[in-house]
Amino acid sequence: MLAFAILIVIIAACLAAPWYAQNISQSDPFASNLDGSITLAGQPVDIMQSADTGFGVTPIGPTWTQKYFLGADDQGRDVAARILFGGRNSLLIAAGATLICLTLAGLIGIVAGFSGGFVDSILARILDILWAFPVYLLAISLSAVLISRGLKLGPVTIDSDSLLIPIAIIGIVYVPYVARPIRGQVLSLARSDFVLAAVCLGVPRARILWKDILPNVITTLIVFAPLMMALNMLTEAALSFLSIGVQPPAASWGTIILDGEGLLYTRPAVAIAPGLAIMLTVVALNFLGDGVREAFDPRAKIRVQK
Amino acid sequence: MIFLVLLRRLAEMVFVLFSISVLVFLIFFATPGADPAARIAGRGASPATLAAVRHAFGLDQPLPVQYGLMMKHLFITQDLTSFVNPGQLVIPAVLQAVPVTLSLVFGAAVIWLIFAVAIGVTAAALRGSVIDRSLMFLAMAGVSMPVFWLGEVANLITQARFHNTVLFSWVPALGYVPLTQNPLLWFKSLVIPWTVLAVTYIGLYSRVLRANLVEALTEDYIRTARAKGLSERQVIFRHALRMSLITLVSMFGLDFGALVGGGALLIEVVCALPGVGMLTYQALQNLDLPFIMATVMYGAIFIVAANTVVDMLYLLIDPRARGAR
Amino acid sequence: MKTIWLIAAALLAVMQAAHAQNHRGGTLKLVAASSDGSIDPQVNYTDQYWQLFIVAYDGLVAFRKSAGSSSNDIVPDLATSVPAPQDGGKTYVFKLRQNIKFSNGQPVTPADVVASFERLFKVNNPNAGSWYNNIVGGDKCLTAPATCTLPDGVVAGDDGTITIHLVKPNPEFLYQIALPFGAILPAATPPHDMGTIPIPGTGPYAITSYDPQKAFILQRNPYFKVFSPEAQPDGYVNEIDFEFGVTGENAVTAIENGQYDLDMDPSLPADRLAEMSTRFPRQIYINPLLADYYAPMNVNIPPFSNLNARLAVNYALNRRDTVQIYGGKNLGVPACQILPPGFPGYQPYCPYTKNPGPKWTAPDLAKAQSYMQKSGMAGQKVTVITDDEGVDPALGTYLGSVLNQLGFVATTHVLSANIQFNYIQNTNNKVQISITLWYDDYPAPSDFLNVLLTCGQIHPGSDNSVNIAGYCNKQYDAKVQAALRDAITDPAKANTEWAAIDKQATDAAAWATLFNPKQLDFVSARLGNYTFSEQFHLLFDKVWVQ
Repeated sequence: MLAFAILIVIIAACLAAPWYAQNISQSDPFASNLDGSITLAGQPVDIMQSADTGFGVTPIGPTWTQKYFLGADDQGRDVAARILFGGRNSLLIAAGATLICLTLAGLIGIVAGFSGGFVDSILARILDILWAFPVYLLAISLSAVLISRGLKLGPVTIDSDSLLIPIAIIGIVYVPYVARPIRGQVLSLARSDFVLAAVCLGVPRARILWKDILPNVITTLIVFAPLMMALNMLTEAALSFLSIGVQPPAASWGTIILDGEGLLYTRPAVAIAPGLAIMLTVVALNFLGDGVREAFDPRAKIRVQK
Repeated sequence: MIFLVLLRRLAEMVFVLFSISVLVFLIFFATPGADPAARIAGRGASPATLAAVRHAFGLDQPLPVQYGLMMKHLFITQDLTSFVNPGQLVIPAVLQAVPVTLSLVFGAAVIWLIFAVAIGVTAAALRGSVIDRSLMFLAMAGVSMPVFWLGEVANLITQARFHNTVLFSWVPALGYVPLTQNPLLWFKSLVIPWTVLAVTYIGLYSRVLRANLVEALTEDYIRTARAKGLSERQVIFRHALRMSLITLVSMFGLDFGALVGGGALLIEVVCALPGVGMLTYQALQNLDLPFIMATVMYGAIFIVAANTVVDMLYLLIDPRARGAR
Repeated sequence: MKTIWLIAAALLAVMQAAHAQNHRGGTLKLVAASSDGSIDPQVNYTDQYWQLFIVAYDGLVAFRKSAGSSSNDIVPDLATSVPAPQDGGKTYVFKLRQNIKFSNGQPVTPADVVASFERLFKVNNPNAGSWYNNIVGGDKCLTAPATCTLPDGVVAGDDGTITIHLVKPNPEFLYQIALPFGAILPAATPPHDMGTIPIPGTGPYAITSYDPQKAFILQRNPYFKVFSPEAQPDGYVNEIDFEFGVTGENAVTAIENGQYDLDMDPSLPADRLAEMSTRFPRQIYINPLLADYYAPMNVNIPPFSNLNARLAVNYALNRRDTVQIYGGKNLGVPACQILPPGFPGYQPYCPYTKNPGPKWTAPDLAKAQSYMQKSGMAGQKVTVITDDEGVDPALGTYLGSVLNQLGFVATTHVLSANIQFNYIQNTNNKVQISITLWYDDYPAPSDFLNVLLTCGQIHPGSDNSVNIAGYCNKQYDAKVQAALRDAITDPAKANTEWAAIDKQATDAAAWATLFNPKQLDFVSARLGNYTFSEQFHLLFDKVWVQ
C-alpha cells in the first residue's frame, strides 16, 4: 500500500507540473533562459555562470529553495519543473508501451503454445525476427522518416512529435521477451496432467483455454507487467540517450538524463535526479504489482477447481 | 530423428537471418539523408561527380542486385568494406571486437547468476521474513535503474568524485585491456562494467526465481516430496529449483544471446569498451550500411542460436514439453 | 663592426640549429573519438585528415605554413615558383623542382603531375565536378572517369615544365590545387580510392599504417630533404600517432595526465572548460576560425518563404546566448553577415541588432515582434533540424525556444550527425530551418557567397544541394559572376564587389547567422612551438614535444 501511495504521489506531482512551474519555480521550463538571474540570500546570481577566463559556462547548481531547487540545465531551465513535466511523458510512454506489449505477447504466446504445429512455427519465426532485429536502427530510421512526413494510417495521422511513435516502437520491442515464456508456459500447461485429464474427459478446448490456461497466463502477465513497465521506462531512457523519442523542448526523464550527461562532472544533479525518479517510480510500480498478484492469486482458483 | 530436428532448426535460422537482412537493407535505403553516394562524394559535390560515385560503388544498380552483392561480399568472399571508411574490411573489425564483448558478458553473467540464485533461493526459503522483503526491495531497485545511467554514475564515482580515495583508487582509466596483454589489468578494468551490467539482471532473475520457487512450493509434487519426509532444503534444491529453472534458463538463453550479440551497446559506449556493441553503435551513428549489416547479422546469429539452444534445453529439463514438437 | 655582426649572426644561426636539434625527436600523440574515412588525399574532405595530409603530401603550390593571416598566402611547393596567370587567366606554367623523391624512393617527374590531375577524376574527387572540370578536358573526364586523360589540359614539357590550360579564367585555381586534393602522387598509384592503404608522398612524414578502428601513424619520410621551407618545413617530431576511440571527457583527462598531446575532435566537453581554463591556462590556445555557425531558412516553403518571418528570427536571435552555449564569450563572435571576419571582402555589417552598424550588440525584440506581426505567420508549426554532436542539440533547442517566443509553434528534432547535413540539403525533406556550420575551403569570398547561395547550387531531390536555404536570385547570381571575373584582373575591385554581395545576401535574410566560432586547442604540457594556420589549424611539422 505504501507503494500505491508513492505512485499516487508521483502521478499527482507530475500532474501538478504546470502549477509548480507557475507558482513555485516561476519560470517556463520549456523556454531557454541564458541571461536570467535570481536572487539568492539577497544576492543576484546568474543562472548561467561564466568562468572569468571567458570560456566555460556552468549552469546554476541546486539552490534547495523554491526557484531552481535542483539547479538549471544547459539552457538555464529549471530542472525540478522539467522533471515533473518529463514524468508525464515517461509514465505515459511506459504505460502505453506496456499495454501494447502485454496484449500482443499474451495473444501470440497463447495462440502459439496452444495451437502448436504450423501456426506455432510461424509465430515463433516472427518472434525470432523481431527479437534479433536492431531496435535502434528502426528507431533512428523511423524518426528521420517521420519528421518530414508524419505517419498516415488511413484516417489517422500521427505527427512526428506524437508520443504514439515512441510508445509503438517500445511496445513492440519486448513482445518476444514476454511471448516466449508465455508460449513455454502454455506449452507446458497443455501437456500437464490436469489438462490431459480434462482432454480425456472430453472437456472442450475453449473451456480448457478459458478455465485452465488463461488464468495462468494472466498471472504471468501480471507478474511481467511491472517488470515490463520498468524495462519500457529504461528503453525510453535508452532511446532518448540516442536522441530518439521525445523531441525538445518537450522532456521525459530519459531526455533530462541526456541533458545532464554533458554536465555530469560539474552538475551531477541534472542527470542523477531523473534517474532516481525513474527508479522510485519503477520500484513503486513493482511492489504494487506484487500486491495485486497476491490479492488475486489465481493459483488458488486452479487448486479449488481441481 | 535428432538430425532432422537440427536440420529444420538450421533452415529456420537461415530464414530468420534472411528476413532480418532484407529488412535492414530496405530500412537503410528508406532513411532520408542516408544516401551513401552523397556522403562518399563529399560536401558540395556536383551532380556529375555524385553520379560517378554512385556508379563506382554499384549504388546505381537495382536494390536486389545490390543486396545480392552485399551478401556475397559478407558471407562468401568475406571482403565487404565500409561505406564511410572506404577500404576498411568489415569482418576483421567485428572479429576484433568479439573478445571484448565476450569478456564483458561472461564476467557479468557469472556475477548475475551467482547473485540471482543466491538471492532468489534465500528469499524463497525465508519468504515473508524481513530478509526476504529487503532482498526483494534491493532486487527491485536493481532492476529499476537505466543501465547507462548507472554506468555514468559509476564512472562519476569511481573515475572522478571518489577516484582518489582508498575505495576506488585501484580503478584504471576507462577502456579495455586484452586478457592476453595483462590479466590483472583486464580484470580491474572490467570489474565496474561487469557490476553495472549485472545489477539489472540480478534484480530481474532473483525476482522471477523467487516467484517461481514460491509458486512451485505449493505444487502437488512438492507436497508429495514433503510428505515423503524430505527436508525443506532438499525440497527446494532437488525439486522446486529444478522446475523453476525452466523459466530462468529460457530468460538466460535469450539475454545471453542478446548481450553477446551486441545488446550491451550502451554499457560498452558508456564504459568505452570497444566491443561489438560499440561497433554497432558507431555503425548506426555513421549509418554505415556494411557495418550495420555485419553487426546486425552477427548479433542475429547469436540471438537466433540462443533461441534454438533454449528450445533444446526445454526438452532436456522439462520432460512434459518433450514431444511437443 | 660588420664582422661582429656576422659572427653574431653566425652564432645565432648555430644556436638556432642547436635549438632545433634539441627539440628534434619524440612522438606527437593525437587522439579522437573516431576515425574520419579514407586516407587517400585526393578523396578525403575532412579538416582532421587535411591537417595530417599537409605534412605528408605536396602540391605544385601550397599555403604558407605559418601563423596568422600570412598562412592564407600561396607559396611555391613542388614548383619552383608561383606562376603568374597567362592568356587572360587561362594558362599557368609551372616548373617542377628537380631531385625530389617520393617516400618510396622514386623521383618526382612531370608524368606524376599529369597522372595526379587525371587521378582526381578517376577517384571521383568531391570537387571534380565543381572545381577541376575547369581544366581543359575535365568535363569529358567527368562523364568517363575510368579512361580520363587530360592531353590538352595538363601538358608536361621536356624541360620539366607543366602547363595547365583552363576552360575559363579562374581566380581561385591556385587555391584549389594548393589543398591536399592537389597532392602530387606517383603515377603508378591505382586509379581508385585507396581507402586504408597509404600512398607515397613527398612531405617530411609518410603514412606508415592506418586502421580506422585503432590508429593513423605517420613516420619520417627517409627521402625527404627541405626544398621549400615556407611550404614544407622539416618537422621536429619523429612520429605522429593519431589514435581513435577516446571520447571527450576521457581525452581531456588523458591530456591533463600527459598521455596525449592534442584532442582532434572539434568541440571539447563544455563543462570541463572552466576547470581546464583555471588549472591549465598555459595549455590552452584559442584561434578564430574562418567559419559560420548559421541557421539556413528555407525561402521556398512556409513560414520562411515570408521575408518578414525571416527578419523576425534575425532580430530576435540573441547571438550572445548562442556563443554562451558554444562555450563562452571568448569562444565565438556574434555575427549577422555571411563572410567571416578577416576574410577577403569582409566589411563588418550587422543590420539585425539594437543599433544597426558594424557590430551585433543586442537583440531587437520590438522590431522582431513587429515583423512577426506583419508576416502573419504566428501559430505556424516549425521543426528545427539539428544534429547530435557537441553543442548542436543545445543550439537547436535554443533556436526552437526563440521561435516559440516569436509565436511559432516550434519543436527541435535531433538527427544523427552523419545524416543531418545531407538531410537538410534534400528539398524532398522539406526542412524549414536547421542548424549547421560551414568552414571555408580556401580564403576566397566565393566559397561562401557563390557556393552556398547561388541558383546553380540547388539540386532538387538530391542529398547534395548545398544551397540549403534554397535562395535563388538571378540578379544576385549576375553580381557573383561579375565579381568572379573581376577577381582575375582587379582583386581589390572584386573585394569591394564581394562586400556588396555579402550585404545583399545578409539583407535577404536567407540565413540567420549565429556566430563565428573559435578553435580551442587543449594541448599537453610538453607541446611547444604551437603554430596555428588559418587554413589548416595546428601545424604538426612546427610543433615539438621535447
